[in-house]
Amino acid sequence: MLRVENIKKSFGKLLVLNDVSLQIKKGELSSIIGPNGAGKTTLFNLMTGHLTPEEGRIFFKEKEITGHSPHDICRKGIGRSFQITNIFPRMNAYDNVQVAVMSWKRKSRNIFSPAAKMVREETEEILDSVGLGDKKEVTAGLLAHGDQRRLEVGIALGSHPELLLLDEPTAGMSPEESLRMVEFIHILASERGLTLVFIEHDMSVVFEVSEKIRVMHSGTFIAEGSPEEVRANDEVQRVYLAEET
Amino acid sequence: MMELTLKRESSRIIAGLIVSFGLFAILPLFIGEGYVSLVNEMLILALAACALNLMLGFTGMVSFGPAGLYAVGAYTTALILIYTKIPFGIALIAGPVMAGLVSIVVGWFCVRLTQVYFALLTLAFSQIIHTIIFQWYGFTRGDDGIVEIPVPAFFHSITNYYYFSLVVVTICLCLLWRIVNSPFGKTLQAIRENPHRTEFVGIHVRRYRLSVFVLSGFFLGMAGSLYCGFNKNVFPNYADMMKSTEMLVVCLLGGIHTFLGPVVGSVVYMVLDKVITLYTEYWPLVLGLVIVGLVIFLSGGIVGFISEKIAVARQRDTG
Repeated sequence: MLRVENIKKSFGKLLVLNDVSLQIKKGELSSIIGPNGAGKTTLFNLMTGHLTPEEGRIFFKEKEITGHSPHDICRKGIGRSFQITNIFPRMNAYDNVQVAVMSWKRKSRNIFSPAAKMVREETEEILDSVGLGDKKEVTAGLLAHGDQRRLEVGIALGSHPELLLLDEPTAGMSPEESLRMVEFIHILASERGLTLVFIEHDMSVVFEVSEKIRVMHSGTFIAEGSPEEVRANDEVQRVYLAEET
Repeated sequence: MMELTLKRESSRIIAGLIVSFGLFAILPLFIGEGYVSLVNEMLILALAACALNLMLGFTGMVSFGPAGLYAVGAYTTALILIYTKIPFGIALIAGPVMAGLVSIVVGWFCVRLTQVYFALLTLAFSQIIHTIIFQWYGFTRGDDGIVEIPVPAFFHSITNYYYFSLVVVTICLCLLWRIVNSPFGKTLQAIRENPHRTEFVGIHVRRYRLSVFVLSGFFLGMAGSLYCGFNKNVFPNYADMMKSTEMLVVCLLGGIHTFLGPVVGSVVYMVLDKVITLYTEYWPLVLGLVIVGLVIFLSGGIVGFISEKIAVARQRDTG
């Protein structure tokens, strides 16, 4: 579904990604792990058009998307959430999701029809699926942190992505909230048939959810495989898992 | 935190517009022509401020140069009426159309930048428009302005022109209200809240910013055109910094996050202007103090402040 070929990206003299390649298959539920500064978020930013690589190419469904703008890549079917909660804080939860759904349905340019009742069914369905059906009138900035993280996923779902990239979906969550998010990711993948890739630091979440794990270190992948294979990998033990323990 | 979406405001605004239209319509029966003229000025200022607020309050684009596009509208109508025999109605429509066209060019440059750089670029373009009007004596008559613009005899009556303005301003406000409540309007609010995130839901943010710049320019031009027909004279100071400041203050005074804020702001501004100048010649000094007070104590503007108090009271009642 998504193919990254020999990507290179640096910020000034700092080489953040060095010759990175990966292939994500349709329906895959995988995670990317690695120490801080490994280049995980930069890779997401390149895949979603927020950054442009210096070298290498990115293909989505066999069409090149290297250097395309974020809105164009979103329209092609790649959605994402962010490491730091990224919502529309002074709009209510309903409006947050509705904006995304209207965009996906190409209704955003409609200048004279009232927006109030537009795409209501789809918007409410998404809010229900992220567990915010009873909080749709609440101003997004006033929601609890966990709810804001779920709302962010809801916004991403509003664009009806085929591939969803979640950047540290449990960041800042309590253990209970993390557990709910794990269940939620499972449901997302199974019910919506999404291809899902997430970056995560919480190893319990990674090993609980992922079918496949990729490990990054210093701007390159050092291991890839099932949770058991990654856990048994010596280099991973050395550079990453050892740090965690 | 104040709820900024307009859903709850909708029915109140429709009722408000109908009641206001009725009240404004019967106003000339009770007040003299001098006051009718004043209310007319206020209506046109309200339209200009609402047009600016489409960018300022609903999209988060702070423009320091709305007066430039207002002047384009006014001068287009004036120049057509003095140089050609084109009917008044067409000259009046030509103003906003020309302002919209100029907005496409100016906006194309401005929307490439954001925040303070955007604001400064709008100011620069407004100054360019002012300079062209001021210097091009052969065409715009420079600082002499264009005086005694021929308008139909029917509009020589202040009351007749007042009713005309009232209808035009009401139609324009209804259109603006529809725009801010449309999917386009809601997308503009998302851009105001978080342009970066909006890009990631498939919105070409720069294109939307240009669209709203042009729409705002069109309605600013409409206000300028309307004022040209009312005053029958136009001057270069229509495009100057003071005029832009006036529009910004009107928006801030009423509240930039509500649709009716600029309308209320224009009423208060005109009243303050007329009352204060009765007692002192230092109106700009008082205006300066009003701005300081606004920014520090009433950042949501008058309507924003009232809305917040009502929301708190309702919460107390239900909670």
